[in-house]
Amino acid sequence: MSEWQSFVGDLVEQWPLLVTGLGQTVLLTAIISINGLLGGIAVFYLGLSPRRWVRRFINGYISFLIGMPLIVLLFLMYYGLPQWGIRVSPFAVAVLGFTFNVAAYNAAYLRTAYNGLDASELEAATAQGFSHRQIFGLVILPQVLRLSVPALTNQVILNLKDSTLAFLIQYTEFFARVQELASTNFQFFKAYAFAALVYLALVSVVVVAARLLERRIIIPGSMR
Amino acid sequence: MSASPLIEIRQLVKRFGDHTVLNGVDLELFAGDIKVVMGPSGCGKSTLLRCLNRLVEPTSGVIRFRGEDITAPGVDVRALRQSIGFVFQQFALCRHLTVLDNVTLGLRKLRGLRRAEAEQKALHELDRLEMASHRDKYPAQISGGQKQRVAIARALAMDPAVVVFDEPTSALDPVMSREVAGLINRLHQEQVTMLCVTHDLVLAQNIADEVIFLDQGVIRAQDSIARLAANHADPQVRAFFGREGFSA
Repeated sequence: MSEWQSFVGDLVEQWPLLVTGLGQTVLLTAIISINGLLGGIAVFYLGLSPRRWVRRFINGYISFLIGMPLIVLLFLMYYGLPQWGIRVSPFAVAVLGFTFNVAAYNAAYLRTAYNGLDASELEAATAQGFSHRQIFGLVILPQVLRLSVPALTNQVILNLKDSTLAFLIQYTEFFARVQELASTNFQFFKAYAFAALVYLALVSVVVVAARLLERRIIIPGSMR
Repeated sequence: MSASPLIEIRQLVKRFGDHTVLNGVDLELFAGDIKVVMGPSGCGKSTLLRCLNRLVEPTSGVIRFRGEDITAPGVDVRALRQSIGFVFQQFALCRHLTVLDNVTLGLRKLRGLRRAEAEQKALHELDRLEMASHRDKYPAQISGGQKQRVAIARALAMDPAVVVFDEPTSALDPVMSREVAGLINRLHQEQVTMLCVTHDLVLAQNIADEVIFLDQGVIRAQDSIARLAANHADPQVRAFFGREGFSA
């Protein structure tokens, strides 16, 4: 039996597990992308607080989370917390760890877009009598979300690729299944090349969706 | 003209740190009036307007609006702001909203009108300013003069007691400036109360018989531009108002 026949045979045999793993990868990516977006909006909103201590706390949060490797955060939660008697499932650690991390990045993207807004629009909204919260919801957020679509969708791609890290905290997503496939027949190159193609296909779906979204939300007459 | 002024400013002072921007300004504006405040850049014109709706907090002095001291604690600042229409130099329209939505936003979210009612009211104001046909365009798709018309319609839609203009023509070319001047005149004929700060002599000449000259935080003169340019005792005042041949 040739190497290829052997590899394909193992692939077919483990196909149900690979599909389950792929489902776990897509599920984790979807959850952390949605949570990360909502969390990012919340962190961004708090970062605009009139209270200086809130803004400082948020700046600290963003700097800390962006400055710390994600794997360190995941290990801290998965291996570190049990020493304090707190045991959390690999899935919960992955969701929480990624959400904290992605929210910080998304908040930073939104803030960058905010810095590019026309300050007179915000002053005009204040002069009209809108509250801080109304200005955020009606004037700031619709614009910064539009301006941040490229960065936010890029983050979704990063989430998809980084979801492989969850394998290191015993969460059996797609890459973990590929690892099992590779260790069955020791054809590492073929197994990882197969994984690369699958991730590339998934990323392509996100890229196409992002392009469609960008086209849909562009403000007529605007360059952005 | 009513017996008591709509806006009464007494000894208004505004300091930013050590820098005194307004140093004891007195001003009265009656319903139906139009007043123009002029002065060199940095003289405190825009700060004066921003004190009226508390976008800038006065350091001291009294501002009475419909007889109520709006610098006092406990004033409903958001309600005050809804009574004062503000037209900005840079138009300040929301880029992500159509012309119509820019005008309806305040009506729906501040006045609580339903969309259909708000649109009816907004279209009335846009039609008054000849902008109704542009209702579905976005700010990036219309000219500077048209944007300023939309900004004025947005202010008028809220039925404010007074409309204040902060350098309304400084971002416009001369043709569009004249359009805005004509529009302000029309609103004055319709008894809209207005306060305008500008350093555009042509605009001032077109919309008011007399102007108030603000310099270094104090009102230094109040007269017609021609008289200020030709006869005022202070050579700086004559130079300011005579720069475009108004002394002739």
